[in-house]
Amino acid sequence: MSAALRSFEAQWRARAPDALQPIRELAMQRFLKLGVPSQRDETWRYTDLRGLAAQNYDQAGCATTDAHAGAGAKNGHAALTLVDPQQHAATVTMLNGCPLLSADLPVINGIEINSIKALYKQDPSYLRRFFESASDADQRRWVLLNTALFIDGLYLKITQSVATPLVILHVSQGGVAQAAHPRVIIDASPGASATIIEHHVSEEDIAPLSNSNTHIALGNDAQLEHYRVYATGPGATHFDSLDIHQSQDSQCRQFTIALGGGLVRSSLEARLNQRGASLDSYSLLVGHQERHVDCVNIVTHAAPNTRSRQTARAIASDLSRVIFNSKVIVNAGANGSDSKQSCRGLLLSPRAEIDTRPQLEIHADEVKCAHGATTGRLDPDMLFYLLSRGLDRETAQSLLVYAFLADVLTGMSVSSARAAIENALINQLPDAQTLRKFR
Amino acid sequence: MLEISDLTARVAGKEILNGVNLTVNAGEVHAIMGPNGSGKSTLAQVLAGREDYEVIRGSVTFEGRDLLAMRAEERARAGLFLGFQYPVEIPGVNNVYLLKAALNAKRKAAGEPEVDAYDFLALIRQKMKFMQMSETFLTRGVNEGFSGGEKKRNEVLQMLVLEPKLAILDETDSGLDIDALKVVSQGVNSLRDPKRAVVLVTHYQRLLDYVIPDQVHVLSGGRIVKSGDKSLAQELERRGYDWVMGAQVA
Repeated sequence: MSAALRSFEAQWRARAPDALQPIRELAMQRFLKLGVPSQRDETWRYTDLRGLAAQNYDQAGCATTDAHAGAGAKNGHAALTLVDPQQHAATVTMLNGCPLLSADLPVINGIEINSIKALYKQDPSYLRRFFESASDADQRRWVLLNTALFIDGLYLKITQSVATPLVILHVSQGGVAQAAHPRVIIDASPGASATIIEHHVSEEDIAPLSNSNTHIALGNDAQLEHYRVYATGPGATHFDSLDIHQSQDSQCRQFTIALGGGLVRSSLEARLNQRGASLDSYSLLVGHQERHVDCVNIVTHAAPNTRSRQTARAIASDLSRVIFNSKVIVNAGANGSDSKQSCRGLLLSPRAEIDTRPQLEIHADEVKCAHGATTGRLDPDMLFYLLSRGLDRETAQSLLVYAFLADVLTGMSVSSARAAIENALINQLPDAQTLRKFR
Repeated sequence: MLEISDLTARVAGKEILNGVNLTVNAGEVHAIMGPNGSGKSTLAQVLAGREDYEVIRGSVTFEGRDLLAMRAEERARAGLFLGFQYPVEIPGVNNVYLLKAALNAKRKAAGEPEVDAYDFLALIRQKMKFMQMSETFLTRGVNEGFSGGEKKRNEVLQMLVLEPKLAILDETDSGLDIDALKVVSQGVNSLRDPKRAVVLVTHYQRLLDYVIPDQVHVLSGGRIVKSGDKSLAQELERRGYDWVMGAQVA
């Protein structure tokens, strides 16, 4: 048993049972049996966790001392300004996974904000449906640990159409020998709609291991635009998993933006459970310096006439590595399913690496499934075209890099989030000054 | 204006141009014709400065300057324009932005101030109207989703905005219906001027009914094998390229 596993087991033994105990117990047993993923596990083949497995972990604390006020604002990993002050957006802070729900929490018409812990104390059965049964699938390994060890979490119930975005600011604080397990449940009632932005930051360059999970459940006709923006420090390790369950005619637009962290593993598993459900997933994965970004998307069409689009853009510079694996599964009987996967990678340095693999698994007839993946350097034909019009080389190159990202950026409907993300992104690309001119 | 002497060039290790000689004076329109694979497009790309095309012999001067020593962007700013046979689509880069950046690059090189945004838009609208282009052009990416004809119109539009001294148009007539051909020809003719020159690279004589050339050259096997006035184009149309190539052998 690895040091990490032993230390997680010790944490598990030390905690007091609570109302979720049966669910937690099963998850912990699976995790202990399966262990820390190795590169022999299918979805982990590009990411080496041996260093992590040799580490002893303590539970990262939830102390609120000065953290609320100073959350993420102390240094260079400060929070991006994803929403304008005049949008009156509400922000809920989670420190190492613990929601800071003070009395002065803003009230938003149409979104009920609760602590998971408070809720399951009142009614243990209510939340059960948001916890998936323990699975051996290797992409779900860290979700098992999260289920076993999370201290508290955030439960958001969206009951009507809400225009202003809600921001969840995840703050990581502490050392690398600590681990936190942030948990968020977003439950949209039939016909409700909202925009939720999850923003992950760390107080320092180094941070605890963050093992976060978000579960999204969309009722019939519900609409959600969801962002997860990774902007932690270069010494931070982050495993983030997202589960999306969609009912009839629900629509989800999801943006995954990797702009920070040292080791980032991001997974998305979506199930289009009923007719008419539609998912647009956008990923913008930026490899910078020595960052390692490993992204896994699995979309299951489980009902007829469901629709999914996956658009991923990966850029790798310096010594970074970006991995994007996506898979579309069409279940038997899910006729009329319509899916597209488009993944493009752009290498800006000879020592950077991008790996992409779109996959299809189809068990139904009459489906429309398209996929494409390309990775390369800047297109020489495009470059020559711009040069032949008199643009200098630096401008031409920057323009093409910017254009490469446009497919994802233009999909964002929160303009302030788009502007802030563009800005942070440009700072991590060569020729930042030239790029600013195109905005 | 343009003096090409013994120009020999390789593409991917293969010699495509094999000793081209050509002189183009200000005020002239030259047509370069020839069968597929004769080296017409290679000549156009070499003149515009494509780097993966390797010049192994010969010289090119443009207004007295050594053209081959200049980079593609320097050639453009010095007043050379290539109208591409297959203009590339660049989604995410706006047409207007490219035009403005190109015009400003040229003005900067000439020591002129950047163009005023309002004046620029007025200029574009005027030229677009002349080229009978739709307003949606303004908001679209460079050549993005354009039909073949729209791409060619866009090439001519760029030429009209940049007002080059020497325009090399590579098969700008191919794939155009008769109405589009007339518009494109009108655009080229509007640029004719005693201080400018135009080189039309074309496979067919059709364009030359609308843009009357001063000289016609036939390129074959990487060199110019025959030159003449506009009647040469008509004769080629009648008798085919085999006639010139046959005459070459005899």
